Amino acid sequence: MAVRLLIGFIVAFASSVGFGIITNVPRRTLLPAGVTGGASWVVYLAMGTVTTNVLLPNLLAAVTIGLLANAAAVLVRAPVNVLYIPCLVALVPGAIIYMAMKDFTLGQDSAASQGFIKTLTIAIALAVGFVIAEAIFAQIRPSFRRWVDKHVPLPRTLREEEQR
Amino acid sequence: MAAQKEILDLAGRVGKILLENGAETSRVEGTVEYIGQAAGLALTCHATMTAIFVDVNDDATTHLVKVRTGDFNLQKVDEINSLSRRFSAGLIDYATLEKGVARIDRQVIDFSWPVKILGAGLVSVAPMLLFQATWVDLAWAFGVGIAGYLAAQWTGWHTKTPYIASGVGGLVIGLLAALIQALGLGNSADNIVISALMPLVPGVALTNSLRELIGKHTISGMVRAVDAVLVAGAIGGGVVVGSFLIHWIVR
Repeated sequence: MAVRLLIGFIVAFASSVGFGIITNVPRRTLLPAGVTGGASWVVYLAMGTVTTNVLLPNLLAAVTIGLLANAAAVLVRAPVNVLYIPCLVALVPGAIIYMAMKDFTLGQDSAASQGFIKTLTIAIALAVGFVIAEAIFAQIRPSFRRWVDKHVPLPRTLREEEQR
Repeated sequence: MAAQKEILDLAGRVGKILLENGAETSRVEGTVEYIGQAAGLALTCHATMTAIFVDVNDDATTHLVKVRTGDFNLQKVDEINSLSRRFSAGLIDYATLEKGVARIDRQVIDFSWPVKILGAGLVSVAPMLLFQATWVDLAWAFGVGIAGYLAAQWTGWHTKTPYIASGVGGLVIGLLAALIQALGLGNSADNIVISALMPLVPGVALTNSLRELIGKHTISGMVRAVDAVLVAGAIGGGVVVGSFLIHWIVR
């Protein structure tokens, strides 16, 4: 189990960094995005072993992304979006959407609609997870930002630009 | 102090760069208003997915900027963001801001192609399929994903028609995956396809759509969601056509 979580973390980390590269995020956000993506995937896997519920793993993984991405955005002084986008890619229910599309083209409408409804359910779970994370982080953001401004130096690339 | 028209123009341009490159509408509106405030001109901004309105609060002037979202470049969003943050904090003056915005607008900041190809390959190994697909299939997906990504990029340079690039990317993936299975090199074409599709996933549209919807920017959220669904449909259509062609040939 621990090995699986570790491999899952590594692959999700690589996946987030890779998607960050092809959507061209700033270099200083690649590492935090990878860590956030990996951590959310570990949460997803761990929840998957505890419960058979479909919503809960997605919801808690989204909460993890929301909290870590917001914290990382403050730390590296970047827009939150830039961190959210690479991390979310692992959670996109690509398999279900693709199988539903395929059923749809083969004329198996009931299997297709089942897949689409499942996709919608997962999307709702992710959205609710983000709402929860944003609500929690909105409470701690001001004090966290003050703490970061005082104790964490600006990332090197930003400092160089400041001097230009 | 710069003239009202210049500030309005610059604020509109900033909003346009942000929206075109993948920022959410609340950030566009906020940034435009902050810039106006710091430049000494109170502005109100309303952004939708197709247009940005910038209104001067104390007279009747409104500036309209049309926007067409296509390629995303999140690096530009970040650079504009830190530039406007420094301007609001009084660290740089208006002339520097203007120069900075012009530079960001012109310059194409990007990763090198070998790095992007490696990135596309990494995304193509989907965490969702670990321990479900065989390692051989995942290794194939690494290569097939790169091929699909390159096909989509190449098509994007040669046509301005929306959704064609995603469709061609899907087509190439469908062709290759079905071929690999037909030749007995891989186990499951479906698993290769699902994994290799990941670089084509409309991640920016999906994430922004969720964030706009939960932020009550309902219209922009719906627009982005529909866009994501259409892109997904184009990819899926491409895959189905591709694997059908192979099945038809090798039958």
